[in-house]
Amino acid sequence: MKEPDLKRSLSPGMTELAESQRDGVWARRYQLASGQTQRHQLGQIRLWVSLLDMEWQVRHESLPADADPLTWHETVGHCQPSSDLPLQRFIRPANDQNLVQYLPAMAQLPTVIRPYQPLTIPAGGRCVLYVGTSLWMQVLLGEQQQVLTELPLATPSKTWLGANTMQGEICYASATYGRLVLEAVPMRPWRAVTPVTINNRRTKPLLLERFNLPTPLLSLHRNERGQLWTPGVVVECETDMSSASLRIEPRVTAAAGDCELIAPAREKLAKGRSLVRAFDHIFG
Amino acid sequence: MFDELQNTLMQIVGSIAWGQWLAAGFLLLLGIVLGTLVARSAGKLAENRISRHHQVMIRRLVFYLVFIIFAMAALREVGFSLQVLLGAAGILTVAIGFASQTSASNIISGLFLVMEKPFEIGNLIEVDATVGEVVAIDLLSVKLRTRDNLYVRIPNETLIKTRVVNRSRFPIRRVDLLIGIAYAEDVERVKELLLSLAEQNTVCLEEPKPFVLVTGFGASSVDLQFSFWVVQEEFLEGRGAMMIEIKKALDQAGIEIPFPHTSVYAGSHSAPFRIQLVDPEPTQNKDRLDADQKN
Repeated sequence: MKEPDLKRSLSPGMTELAESQRDGVWARRYQLASGQTQRHQLGQIRLWVSLLDMEWQVRHESLPADADPLTWHETVGHCQPSSDLPLQRFIRPANDQNLVQYLPAMAQLPTVIRPYQPLTIPAGGRCVLYVGTSLWMQVLLGEQQQVLTELPLATPSKTWLGANTMQGEICYASATYGRLVLEAVPMRPWRAVTPVTINNRRTKPLLLERFNLPTPLLSLHRNERGQLWTPGVVVECETDMSSASLRIEPRVTAAAGDCELIAPAREKLAKGRSLVRAFDHIFG
Repeated sequence: MFDELQNTLMQIVGSIAWGQWLAAGFLLLLGIVLGTLVARSAGKLAENRISRHHQVMIRRLVFYLVFIIFAMAALREVGFSLQVLLGAAGILTVAIGFASQTSASNIISGLFLVMEKPFEIGNLIEVDATVGEVVAIDLLSVKLRTRDNLYVRIPNETLIKTRVVNRSRFPIRRVDLLIGIAYAEDVERVKELLLSLAEQNTVCLEEPKPFVLVTGFGASSVDLQFSFWVVQEEFLEGRGAMMIEIKKALDQAGIEIPFPHTSVYAGSHSAPFRIQLVDPEPTQNKDRLDADQKN
């Protein structure tokens, strides 16, 4: 909406700049000409995708882990980045039609999230935590959406979740905290928001220190404001911590507004029952 | 004379039931071919569901089963009675057992190894001073591939008797680094610095939490143990990267990593060493160099 105003207020030379530097959009088809390079700055990476006569080239570099950019800058030009960046080369498929698009993807491993400080949910109580998790970016070609490569948009750090060091699973550690108020969640184009509802049906209070979010099972949806959401996750804690059951809601929460499916979940569950077993260590 | 010999030979050759022996040979060959085919397809069928170790075990078991059935059929075809054969085999076993104690002991150790399952194919194990990936678990021995790509055969008996360390049994491992810092340095500050390095390093797991211990007051340094956890596959990489980072961070913070110092005691608390400057000795008495003598 703001772009036409910006164009009017700038000099002609500047308008060109404003036109070439745009905000990147997920799942939009970009058409490049041979020799052109598309540069993206999103999350904690910079990415260059170049189209040559016979090949596609992808280069990327990581930014410091404390960077928290608000927007996704996208530019198209003829300049190539410095040659010392690691380069991936791909032979052009016959029918790529010079089209490239970018799809978000959730983490391949479950992600451990925490509230800012441990949180007690009283007996019979219910709480909704809003969590932002970092995404991966898939580079796809042509109408067939052939995946070229996949990059993490923030450097993921790992953690161990289990009763002891022998049994458990390796998970990603979330860089952000779970929040009780949706407005407090920092919205970024490289993070997706998941509402996690925890029902404490026990007669004792539940101390929530950490929670294992099954990120590979979540699909990604985009609302009208361009924000990414996943369906909600509901945890019912009935007898003790180890027997909590977890289910994924079929739709995105109403707070997200009207949403369209943008990327399916990485893994699909055949039966609802196996979900409880697969996530033995819901609360660590 | 020659004719008689020829006739006898002809009679012997004529009396052998060639058809039966041929059939038996064919059965054995068929057994090998079918056994291999069935074992391969059984392995492929279970490929996605089970580990490589179990897959190899299943393949071997299926092959032997099919082969034994065909071998028995072949023996019957030739006319051997299985009962007599088994009786003979009993006596033979005792004889062979005495003759090949080592092999028998290895075979029995192998059976115990399969039952106990201290490691699987693909695991990284340490036996005596050898570290390597298990390539095969066989009747007599276990084969390892070391990190410098050597093929090492270890008899099963050795594996039963000695200490075996399996480095890939659990998904995560702890890295313990020993660091010495100068006595003049602030230990608390170094501890904070090390823990912040662990936090920044992505190879280092967030939980179990990293920690720093003071392990002793050494000859020339305060000795610290810095421990953090990594995913098993990233052990070497994690340790190497962290050591480089520690050296950099300590240098940047001006913290000294000391090398052994020796203090020389002059015999009294306050008295300094007496130093006297002496003139160099005159060199007149020394022999002249050969080169000079020529001149």
